[in-house]
Amino acid sequence: MSRLSRLSISRKTFLTSLLSLLVFAAYSAPLLAQDSDISVTDSTSAELEGAPAAPTNVLAVDHKYDIGEAVDVSWDLSFDDTAGMRNVAGYIIYRSVAGSAEFDSIGAVFSLTSSFADIGLTRGETYQYSVSSYTLSGQVSEPIVSAEVTTEREWFDWDEVWVFILLVLIGGSVMYFIYHARKGKQMFLRKIAGLQAVEEAIGRATEMGRPILFIPGIHDMDDVQTIAGMTILAKVAKQVAEYESRIFVPTRASLAMTAARETVREAYMTAGRVDAYRADDIYYVTDEQFGYVAAVNGIMTRDKPATCFYLGAFFAESLILAETGNSIGAIQIAGTAQPAQLPFFVAACDYTLIGEELFAASAYLSGEAKQLGSLKGQDVGKVIAMAAVLIGAVLATLGSEEGMNIETFRGAFHGIWSVFGGGQ
Amino acid sequence: MADASPIGIFIAGVLTLGIFSFLYKDNPVYKVCEAIFIGVSAAYWAVEYFYSALYKKFWLGVIPPEGSGADPDMWLWGGAILGVLMLCRMIPKINWLSRWPLAFIVGATAGLYMMTFFVSNAMNQIASTMQPLIQDTFLATLGSFTVAIGTVTGLIYFFFSKEHKGIFGGAAKVGIWFLMVTFGASFGYTVMSRMSLLIGRLDFLFSSWATNFGQMF
Amino acid sequence: MKRTIPWIITIVTGFVLVIAEFVPPWGKMREDVLIYFQIISVFAFFLGGGSLLKINLQKVFSKRTDWEYALVTVVGFFVMLALGLFKLGNPEMATAGYAADLNANGSWFKNLFDAVKAPLSASMYSLLAFFIASASYRAFRAKNSDATVLLVSAFIILMGQTFVGVVATGWMPDWVSFFKVENLSLWLLAKANLAGQRAILIGIALGIVSMSLRVILGIERTHLSGGDE
Repeated sequence: MSRLSRLSISRKTFLTSLLSLLVFAAYSAPLLAQDSDISVTDSTSAELEGAPAAPTNVLAVDHKYDIGEAVDVSWDLSFDDTAGMRNVAGYIIYRSVAGSAEFDSIGAVFSLTSSFADIGLTRGETYQYSVSSYTLSGQVSEPIVSAEVTTEREWFDWDEVWVFILLVLIGGSVMYFIYHARKGKQMFLRKIAGLQAVEEAIGRATEMGRPILFIPGIHDMDDVQTIAGMTILAKVAKQVAEYESRIFVPTRASLAMTAARETVREAYMTAGRVDAYRADDIYYVTDEQFGYVAAVNGIMTRDKPATCFYLGAFFAESLILAETGNSIGAIQIAGTAQPAQLPFFVAACDYTLIGEELFAASAYLSGEAKQLGSLKGQDVGKVIAMAAVLIGAVLATLGSEEGMNIETFRGAFHGIWSVFGGGQ
Repeated sequence: MADASPIGIFIAGVLTLGIFSFLYKDNPVYKVCEAIFIGVSAAYWAVEYFYSALYKKFWLGVIPPEGSGADPDMWLWGGAILGVLMLCRMIPKINWLSRWPLAFIVGATAGLYMMTFFVSNAMNQIASTMQPLIQDTFLATLGSFTVAIGTVTGLIYFFFSKEHKGIFGGAAKVGIWFLMVTFGASFGYTVMSRMSLLIGRLDFLFSSWATNFGQMF
Repeated sequence: MKRTIPWIITIVTGFVLVIAEFVPPWGKMREDVLIYFQIISVFAFFLGGGSLLKINLQKVFSKRTDWEYALVTVVGFFVMLALGLFKLGNPEMATAGYAADLNANGSWFKNLFDAVKAPLSASMYSLLAFFIASASYRAFRAKNSDATVLLVSAFIILMGQTFVGVVATGWMPDWVSFFKVENLSLWLLAKANLAGQRAILIGIALGIVSMSLRVILGIERTHLSGGDE
């Protein structure tokens, strides 16, 4: 994420620089020719007539937590930018590679801008920067030179340290309970109506001699909701095989079709009925969202499945599917982590797995101690989240007026960390 | 669509009516529309992916066009190798190789999503709930209490390993009400936008298509 | 072997990508993986498209019920595929050659898109208006307290967006202005709805962490089916 934001900044900076350079070039071509190789030694003595006041306090620091290819340059605005003559049009940034006194201009920014990100540098190289202010009429101040800076590659993004700590806490508790459950410790799990209804729904279809329709969402395998759908499909297909019923799985993506075939085939094998497995009942339709919906609607009205499962990522089609399923009188069990579609499933389906329940479903249905243990780990995560919300709100009420945000968090963690000498 | 040919507009209108006919019941016209839709759109996306992923991203990535100045990205071959392994499915003797790319995708999705959602859903949502409870006005204070209580009771509803009874059960009940309010809000909020979709389509039928129809015959 | 290698691939990929979040030099991996996925899915289309053709052609040749429609699908598929792959009628082909924009104005691919795919898609989407009406009717017969809460909340939000709703509560005196439907619906959206959304989102994140860990640790491995098909 940080990489993206840096790229977008760089493009903006690039365009700004280009624009300023064009303006600058148009007004001061002769001046630039003479100035393009400003050397540090002359600049101190050069007192340009009519030139704006130079920026002050030029700093160049290695961009933190990157792979060593960026330097952040910053400065205090020229006196003539904010007050004084008010004639500063922008700033020109120059760079020299260590040891060389040759400074090349590498970019420019508009007035009232006091930073520049130089990217695409070589890791481990030492650089020095200088910054001048310039006016629209082409006068350039003396360049102010920064201290030397060496680009470094960091192996840990300390900005993310708080994410890391919480992930270890929550992930650790999930893993702890997985391990704990292995020892055969019994634990309580509340009932989830939608999951209890699975077996009954499959049984009903068998009795009625009608097929079962399973839609693993409309995303591909690069969505974790589809993976959750597949893990549930495994359990459903096993029961279908045992009941000697039939299941159709039309998919919107080719990879999802392949994964679904693997999953169902494995389920039939576990149930000892691999001979009854039909690969052609699991098929790709089209990648087009509503083309897929048109096809599934057709399947529903023609094959009249007695039970429909919608488990995965769904978008606007959720309601079209669920209402069509309703019109053919199917028992419908839905589940998704798309908050915007949950209301439609809740309104039109018999049972709906809400968000987190979708991801817990396969663990529930498997009944395996290890899988169930992970659910208890999730609950610990909830306790941590609830505590954070409550304690945070109380602290925010007692303390700052503006409330807290992610930066407060970052700041706090950073502060604590630096006390122990880490990170810097 | 504005500069579409009269024949194009005519076909578009007929297909629109064909899809709408499904509301009455499944019928041959809808079946034809559905069949065309599946065939044409599957090929559309096949071509689209072929160009965007295989040609532009992969081919131009490993063999950058002359003068582009880009270095060939050899890492991209990894994707192509996994893609070819996927095709092994079609050869019975080595079809088990197709599980490798599948295993890669499942592992990658789990790893990527875990981090993205952990940061964007969990951390950011928790952090933005940490607001002062006491605000300037009574209504604002009520609002911030509502958000805090709703978030906490909503989470209580999701608890798996504790039975929903007693005080805990009461809190879970409040939680589910909050979830229902949320669902109702999305529902109510969506109704109008869905109506405008239909109005847009009817507008096409009654203006562009009807006018075009009149001109054609 | 046939199970172990995929299992190792899942574990290594999963862990590496989790760690990559914290290790800047590995950051590019997260982007590369997304491109890998796109490339793999193009190859996978040979399997999906192949299955689509196989099933429909089987229908046609065995003259099963509705075989005529299966034929339409196959023809539609090949027509669109040919138009796209050979860029037929693409005006940019003359100048740009094969690098011509696929969706150039005037190309047959684009024409078929505009006349067939786009209107079919828009029409199917607009059916939602009818389905949301029938779903509202269903919700209207609220079966229990939960459904009633959903209904009331939906009603207030809907009214808040309409002129009728605003007029209906316009008579209220200022001291109860909170209960005017436009204010009430705004409050519901900004507060109660927000709380529910947050609980759902936080729950989802925890569910994903837990499920991803089950997958990465190999406890959940339905995708790694064994056997030797």
